[in-house]
Formats: sequence, C-alpha cells, structure tokens
Amino acid sequence: MSGTIGKVVDWLDDRAGVRSLVHEALYERVPGGARWRYVWGSTLVVAFLTQLITGTFLWMAYSPSTQTAWESVFYIQYEMPGGWLLRGIHHYMAHAMVMLLGLHFAQVVWDGAYRAPRELNFVIGMVLMLVVFGLALTGYLLPWDQKGYWATSVGTNLASQAPLAGPDIRKLAIGGSDYGHLTLTRFLALHAGVLPGLLVVLLVPHLMLFRKHGLHAKEPLKGPDATFWPDQLLKDCVAALGVLVVVLVFAVYGGGADLTAPADPSSPYNAARPEWYFLFLFQFLKWFPGDLEVWGAFVIPGIFVTLMFLMPWIGRSRAGHKFNVGLLVVVLGGIALLTAQAVNDDFYAQWHERTEDNSTRYDASRAFITAKEQAARDAERIIELAQSAERIPPTGALSLMQNDPYLQGPKLFVQYCASCHTHEPNSADDELLGMASEMKIINPMPTAPNLAGVGSREWNLAILNPEKVADAHHLGYEGSPFVEGDMVTFVRDAFGEDVEAENREAVDNAVQAIVDALTNEADILRNRSALAAEKTQETIARGRELITGGLAEIVPNGMSCVDCHKFHDAGELGMAPDLTGYMSRQWMIDFIKNPAAERFYGDRNDRMPAFAPHDNPQLNQLDEHTIGLIVDWLRGDWVVTDAGEPSPVEK
Amino acid sequence: MDQKSPKTRRTFVAAITTIVAGTIAVVTPLLAGVVTFLSPLFKKSASPKVRVGLLSQLPDDGVPRAFPVIANRIDAWNRYPDQRIGSIYLIRQPGEEKPTAFTAKCPHAGCFIGYTPGDDKFRCPCHTSAFNLNGSRVNGDAEVAPRGMDHLPVTLVDVTAGDGEKVHEIWVEYIDFQTGLKEAVPTT
Repeated sequence: MSGTIGKVVDWLDDRAGVRSLVHEALYERVPGGARWRYVWGSTLVVAFLTQLITGTFLWMAYSPSTQTAWESVFYIQYEMPGGWLLRGIHHYMAHAMVMLLGLHFAQVVWDGAYRAPRELNFVIGMVLMLVVFGLALTGYLLPWDQKGYWATSVGTNLASQAPLAGPDIRKLAIGGSDYGHLTLTRFLALHAGVLPGLLVVLLVPHLMLFRKHGLHAKEPLKGPDATFWPDQLLKDCVAALGVLVVVLVFAVYGGGADLTAPADPSSPYNAARPEWYFLFLFQFLKWFPGDLEVWGAFVIPGIFVTLMFLMPWIGRSRAGHKFNVGLLVVVLGGIALLTAQAVNDDFYAQWHERTEDNSTRYDASRAFITAKEQAARDAERIIELAQSAERIPPTGALSLMQNDPYLQGPKLFVQYCASCHTHEPNSADDELLGMASEMKIINPMPTAPNLAGVGSREWNLAILNPEKVADAHHLGYEGSPFVEGDMVTFVRDAFGEDVEAENREAVDNAVQAIVDALTNEADILRNRSALAAEKTQETIARGRELITGGLAEIVPNGMSCVDCHKFHDAGELGMAPDLTGYMSRQWMIDFIKNPAAERFYGDRNDRMPAFAPHDNPQLNQLDEHTIGLIVDWLRGDWVVTDAGEPSPVEK
Repeated sequence: MDQKSPKTRRTFVAAITTIVAGTIAVVTPLLAGVVTFLSPLFKKSASPKVRVGLLSQLPDDGVPRAFPVIANRIDAWNRYPDQRIGSIYLIRQPGEEKPTAFTAKCPHAGCFIGYTPGDDKFRCPCHTSAFNLNGSRVNGDAEVAPRGMDHLPVTLVDVTAGDGEKVHEIWVEYIDFQTGLKEAVPTT
C-alpha cells in the first residue's frame, strides 16, 4: 500500500515538485520555538477560509433582487436544514475576523514587526484590512432587511459628501439614484467576487513575503529554534479551533444571524445602526455638526489611515516606533471609548430615569429602544406569515407586510382613528386576541368609543349591559349625544332594575341569546368554530327571534330591537344602525366609508368623518383596501391559517 | 549605440506590437464592462408631482401631520404602481389655506425624521438632529444636520366631485435633495 502511495507521490514530485513545496511549507524555521503569540495570522487565514466556504454555500441559495433578497435569506434561515447555522457561522466569523484583524495589527505594531525589510508586507496587510472592512460593509446590506438597508443607506449618503466626486461615487456604489435591484447586484458582485478575489490576490504575496522574510520572533526567545511542523502548526490549528468554538457558541446561542423585517424604503427604521465594529465611526460623526462633517467622515479618518500606512517609515527611529505605539493606543482606545459611548447613548433610557436635564438624551434613547422592539415584532410577524401556508407572493415579502392587518392596523389607527378613538383592550381581550400590550393605542382624552374588541361577544354584552352601555368606553364617551339617547334608555329599562326578580333569569338568558346572535352576525374568524357548535346554533336562532320581536314579551318596557333597528327582513332603516351583519367586515367597512349613511346613523351621526363617501376613489380619503386593513385589525382577523383552522396568533 | 541595427529595430517593433496587442486584448472587454458599470451616472432622476391628499384632511392647527408620498416607482426592470416612495410632513398654520410641506428625509444623512404628536420638535433618530416646527435647526450651526428641513413646493388643485361637490387637493413636488450639504441641492 505504502508502495503505491510512494509511487503516486514520486510521480507528482517529478511533475510538480510537491515534495519541496510541502517541505517548504512545513519546515519553515520558527526562531525560539513554537509560541501561542504567533497564531493570530494563521487564525485569520482560517477565518477567511471559513468565510469562503460558508459564503459559497450561502451564495448558492441567495438571490439578489429587491423581491428576492430578503426572501431567499429567509428561506436559508428558516426553511433550509442547517441554513441558520451556515448563516450564523458566516455572520459571527465576520465579527471574529474583524477582532482578529485588530489583534494581528496591534501585535505587528507593538512588536515593531513592520520594520525593514517587512514594510511592503505591512502595507499589503493594511490594504487587506481595508478589503475586509469592505466585505463587512457590503455583506451587511445583502439580506435586504430594515437594519442593513437603513444602516447602509446612511453610509452611502455619507459617501456622497466625499470631496469632489461624492454624489457620483454614491451613484456608482448603489447603481442609480435610489436603492434597488442594481444596488443588490452590485453589492453582491463586490461582496462575493471582487473583494474576495482582491483578498486572495493580496493574501498570496502577504504570505509569500512573510515566508521570505521569516517569522518576526519576539525577544527574548524562549527556547531553541524549531520548525513550523509540528509544534507551531498544532498551536495554530488549536487556536483556529478555539475561534470556531467561540463563533459556534454565538451562532447557536443566537439561533443564527439576525434577520429583521424586509427593507421598506417608505417605512422609517429608527434604530438604524451600523454593525458594532463600525459603531465608533457612527459615534465619531456626532462630534462634527453641519459643515464640519467632512472632517469627521473623511479628513480625520483619512489622516489616521494614512499615518497607519506610513508606520514602517515613521517607526525607523526609536522615537518613531514609540509614536506608532502611541497612535495604536489612541486609535484602539478611541474606538473602544466611542463604541462604549454609542452603546450608552442608545441604551441610556434602560439604565437611567428621565429627568428635566437628561430629557433630550433620554427621549432619543427611548425612541431607539422602541424602534428596536417594534422592528423585532415586525420581523417576528412577517416571518410567521412567510412560514404560513400562504408563503411569500411573487411580489415579495414587502407586499405581504403592507397587506397585513396586524402590522398595518396599528399604524393606520394612529394616523386616522386615534385622534378621537382609543384602543384599550382589557386583560381578558389580551388573552382573547393574543394581543401584546404594545398593541394598546391609548388616547387619554377620547371623544369616541374604545374600539378594542368591536364585534366580539364582550363588546355586544357590554352594549346590552345597563352599567356599561353608557360608560366612557361605549356610548358615554366625552361629549357623546347618545349618553342619554334611546339606546341607553332602552337598555336600562329593559335589562336594569325594573326587571322583576322572577323574570331575571329569563331576561339574562334572552340577553345571552341576543349576544350570540349578534356575535354570529359579526362573523369574526376566531369565533367561527365556537359559533358553529350545535348548541350555540340553537341560542343564535332563539336570539334572532328575540331581536325580531320576541324580546318585547320578556322585558318590562315591552320593546324589541326591531322597533328601532333593521335586522334582515324585519324593522326599518332610518332610526338606528342596521343590525344586519352588525360589525361584520363589510358592515364596518361601509360604516367607516360613510357613518352618516341612512343604513347607519344618518343625521344623528356624531363627529365621525366619512372616509370614503364618494364613488370616485380619487376624492376619498381612504380606499377600501386600507379601510379593510383597519377593520381586520380591529376585529382581530389577522390570523395565520396554517392548518386551515383559524387561530389567534401568539403575540 | 545611436545607430540601430535591424535586429534591435525588430525587437523594438516586436515589443511595441506585443504591448499594443496585449493591451487591446485586455482593455477592450474591460472598457465594455466599465461603460455599463458607469451607466448610473448617465441617468437623470425626475421629481414626480404627487397628490398627497385633500385639504379637508389637514386642519389649520399648526400641527405637523405625516403623509405618505404615493407614486409609481421604477426600479431597473420593474415598475411598481402606486408605491410609497417617501413621506412628507404637512403643516397648516391657523387661518392659512396653503400648507407648508417638508420632506421627512433628514438633510444630514437621509434618515426619516420623526414627529410625535404633541411634541414641539421634529427629531431625527439617527444622529439626534432636532428641528423646530418651522423646519429650522434647533441648535443652529451646532446641529449635526447641515441645514434645516427641506421644503417641497405645494400646489392646491380644485376638483369637482361627481356629486358636484368642490374639493381641494394637495399636490407636492417630491424632490429628493442631496444630503450633507449646506444648500438644498436636488439629486440628479
């Protein structure tokens, strides 16, 4: 067997000289023997290899366009077996690479390893560092999520302030005036082709020159000279394994890399921040207001980078080397300080109480934290939708997001409804709707009913409850003309204290039956299965009878609903809102379109505006689709029907 | 030395030919690539005039209200009808008919300037620039933003509805301004 292997090696050696190549690679002299301090360069090479490998496989599943970038990353992360781990390794190894690079650089400067004849190699190393930063920057955008989109957009806007050709540079980088398909195709070409290619092209001479000049040994030597194989290579591999373990811990602990909601050019992301290793630059800019910005963004960083490139020449003298070490300390220390400051600014509100003096700072931080939480909820929801049986439409996840009542409802409610209405689910509703407390939109001085839970059983019960019908959440809101109206009077007379003791049970049963019948009219998705039960169907039928006249025989005031309301074929329009399909999707849409229509409040309409009274959609404030989103959100019809069975969504 | 022999002349011609031929072979495809790469520079962007809403939606109470800017958006090979391409703030001062329009894009680095109802300032979340409700910078030149919020031209258009009712529409020219400059310069 060994004879065969020997023959193959001989054959290869004759043609390619493999023996001397392997010998050269393995028996490099290590002055003073193997040491842990020599491992950092090798760990960087292994980190880069990791990125090449994981990056290639990610590339096989990635699709660069605005309708497919986020979607394909979502697919990698949530659908492909092991995809989350692949992304996690790529993501956290990028972080590790930046840190290892810092370490490698610091060691070279500290040890003065840049001195002649290693100047050229130092310069190549500096360029390599910039290439790695370029890789980090371009990679951040590729998932096309809110985080990457807005952070990169801020970055490229800054680039447009570069002296001379700034705007043109920005245009070339993003492939046009606005972010779009061509931004992604360009960034991918840079990230997966140009920059890694450049890195390889530079890494080869970097390693060759390293071998040519030999390892820069740190005095005093610890022992006799040794060769790269076996001791140093062993140490290098153990260190590389150590780096991988740390990366894996982060990747597994974090469940892979973060994926926020799909990039939405029209929706602000107030927590746009660069990745942590660029946070110092972001913070640095805050020091340079207005016109001075060009100093913070280009001139001063430019001076530092130039000085760093010149280190080998500055460091020729003893004093020069000291200057370099000083510069290193200033740069690393400055980066650490600025980073800490940036984090402290952002999370200030988490660690401090709001006072008069710190209000500006506190509010800015609070806005950041709120935006971050909101983004996390958006992401959770959109991922849930993308995973449902509906999948992502060909127009992309963004359209999924823009058509989702759960995500759009609260925003639309704030914009169009919250100046009068409030939306305060009580704790029972919370459970019922699976509503996060953040979904509460509280108007402290409402001049209209609380719309939380409209159409639900609880809502109908409250309207027929003598104690609740005229409270602030229902018809007793500030300035309500209905507070002493016919409905309130009827509910009090019919179901209140006038009911004789022996009739109480019959009246209560009648109310329950009417409530069931009305809840049935609303036809809210999550109630369907409960309403379909045979027993409930019986009470619904009874409730309908009561509404259309039966109630008059039970209650003291001898009236029933259809004396004022219309209900299917019974009753007349014109006195009170139509109860046919009361609080159903279409009923609510029509109501919001024009509450002063004959079918609803007519002349008696309070201050509620008509949002879409015209046939010509151009003249209306809202279109039917938008009203539908508000209505679906109010009704809690933002369910994900995965198994065909509607169920409220957790959180 | 000064008298070139035919041999050195031949070498010279060979050298020139090698260089020229080799350069053309490499540079031609490179040029073809560079031209397409530079193509975004030759494209000019236009500022669409957009109907943002009805005047009746905007009370004259001096309070900023956010309106989405809906227009067709073209991204390379796609045309997206009726997209939110941005966001603006409209403010109508008491007694005035015509509102003032600000783009929500921060003049500093292009983030979305936020406004919370009840606040007396616009605030940009990215680098904490703050603007008064008239768009000027709260801290003047000490503000991170190089200039105040950008005004957009507003036009009121009278339309008659099908039922004969007269309504006023608010139209805005949605100009995209370059960030980071002292002056408001539209992007090209």
